[in-house]
Amino acid sequence: MSKTTDDTVHQTEDGARQTEDGDVPLAEGVDHQVAMVMDLNKCIGCQTCTIACKTNWTESGGREYMYWNNVETKPGAGYPRDWEEMGGGWDEEGQSRTPGELPEQEDYGRAWDFNHEAIMYEGSDEPLRPMENADWGPNWDEDEGAGEYPNSYYFYLPRICNHCTHPSCVEACPRSAIYKREEDGIVLVDQDRCRGYRYCVEGCPYKKVFYNAQTKTSEKCIFCYPRIEGEGPEGEVRPPSCAEDCPPQLRHVGFLDDEAGPIHKLVNEYEVALRLHPEYRTEPNVYYIPPYAPPQTSESGETVDADRIPRNYLEELFGPEVESALNTITREREKVERGEESELMEILSTVNNDDQYRLEVFDDDG
Amino acid sequence: MTADDATTLGGIGSRELAVAAALALAVVVATAAFPMIVDARAAYEIPVEQQSSAGDLADPTGDAWQSVETVDVPMSSSGAAVPGGSDAAVDSASVAAARTDERLYLRLSWSDASANTSTDSLRAFADSTAVQLPVSSEERPPIAMGSTDNRVNVWYWNGADGTESLLAGGAGSTTQIPESAVETNAAHSGDRWTVVFSRPLASDRANVTDIAPNEDVNAAFAVWQGANEERSGQKAVSEWYYLSLDPDDGGAPYETVLWALAGIAVVFTTFVTVEGIRRTRGE
Ligand code: SF4
Ligand code: SF4
Repeated sequence: MSKTTDDTVHQTEDGARQTEDGDVPLAEGVDHQVAMVMDLNKCIGCQTCTIACKTNWTESGGREYMYWNNVETKPGAGYPRDWEEMGGGWDEEGQSRTPGELPEQEDYGRAWDFNHEAIMYEGSDEPLRPMENADWGPNWDEDEGAGEYPNSYYFYLPRICNHCTHPSCVEACPRSAIYKREEDGIVLVDQDRCRGYRYCVEGCPYKKVFYNAQTKTSEKCIFCYPRIEGEGPEGEVRPPSCAEDCPPQLRHVGFLDDEAGPIHKLVNEYEVALRLHPEYRTEPNVYYIPPYAPPQTSESGETVDADRIPRNYLEELFGPEVESALNTITREREKVERGEESELMEILSTVNNDDQYRLEVFDDDG
Repeated sequence: MTADDATTLGGIGSRELAVAAALALAVVVATAAFPMIVDARAAYEIPVEQQSSAGDLADPTGDAWQSVETVDVPMSSSGAAVPGGSDAAVDSASVAAARTDERLYLRLSWSDASANTSTDSLRAFADSTAVQLPVSSEERPPIAMGSTDNRVNVWYWNGADGTESLLAGGAGSTTQIPESAVETNAAHSGDRWTVVFSRPLASDRANVTDIAPNEDVNAAFAVWQGANEERSGQKAVSEWYYLSLDPDDGGAPYETVLWALAGIAVVFTTFVTVEGIRRTRGE
């Protein structure tokens, strides 16, 4: 860490570099970069991914409130509440961190106590419900969305740590306890080095590092690294649980620098997979296919030629490139409608897991 | 002194000589007997009071501390490269030190209206304090956590988690020393924290400061205010002080030496003058 002023901490030489054998910029000192593409058009908000993650990693021991994978309704306040207003990330030059805020516990939500006792044992005929303080929690505003009937709209946004190329959580830690793993760019917290300062929690603009008040350390999504290393069920290499357990199989998992893989094609060739809030400048490695919605309808139920999800709202989330991404997808869809081939549509509609999960391509690297 | 000078003093009578001699004697006596009156302490000195038994020194409010001199240590923000690194709430601490033949006791006290003793929730940070000592070097390590070739021990107390002994060789390198011999007792009352650290003087462990019973030891102090979300480099820190363990210091080495020299000079001058006058008069 170099110079400092009151509110900004300048980064070290952490700029992206070119890989030896390709054009994909990776973080300094990282051999390959894991990446994920989520197709928001397929998400049904079932939370299977959330629960798969939770049962694997965050069931107990101070992790009860944590959702390393959460699925929130957009437009909506999200999890933790209003995380997009909490700062973090980098300034316009991408050189100085803008320190963020620590959320309040209430912003994540607390575990509620229910009236099980009264109903099960005391013969009460109240409905089953939380006993107190049930005024916020994850998905409190689920499916509310925005807009007026009949043109209301919403969509689901699954979120995990983005294992960023330029992670402000890593830069925030004065002890280098949070780091980017050399072999695949997964961002991890070294539990032995962490002293619970929570600068990473403040520093991550996506609020994907969590403080464990029991262990007094910070914890986060580990991209299910034991599974991608083949330490998972049956000793096979598996994608992260959130991806594998998703009923509509909307996630692609692989390496950004696997130039023959679908992620590289979606991100770099077709440019239809976009970063969430690119203006935070942490360079996320989770990418999204932006959501379509049916066009608006008139009072009488006629289809109107107008976007249901306002483009400017999508631009707020995914940056100005959303325009050309949606245009590209529209164009490719029309090709398929005309009976022509579309590699892009094939990638997006594949049902072959071998195409979706490419995690062993660099295994011979040594 | 030349004969001319001596001649000009020729008019001084024996009464004046007697007054001068008495004055010189008074200065010497004052210097030897009341150094504390001449000036309290040397700059950056923390006097260490020898006590025959530990008594209740381990108790932050113990009576044994009543006779021990307290030093007001100014503090300021560390300016470390963390958010809020220039925003520390506490601006001074009172430091007192006492010892027995075996143990050193350090008492730090500072003003903090709220006792923050929990890290059990996301935004809870605990009040803390620390004493930093060089691991071994004669030369003072860099004040901000030492350096790789001149490391520091840190005795650390945190309102939530108690006591730790730490080893550091530069900012961000802090590691815990297992099985610490440092003990603490803390009390919060009347808008103040008072924390007593104690440890056996001697240590034969690697990377642990061995405090020689008769040698001064450098020490610096830090305080974190939990209510201000202070942790890590966001803290109030002092400059280097020294624990005055060397008995020859007499409590105030520079002043004592200076006043003693002045006394000797006066006596010498008086003597030479008297001799000169005698000789001039041919006595
Ligand atoms: S999403 Fe947040 S926690 Fe994850 S790597 Fe990026 S900055 Fe760090
Ligand atoms: S499992 Fe799949 S469909 Fe269900 S919420 Fe998660 S990402 Fe969406």
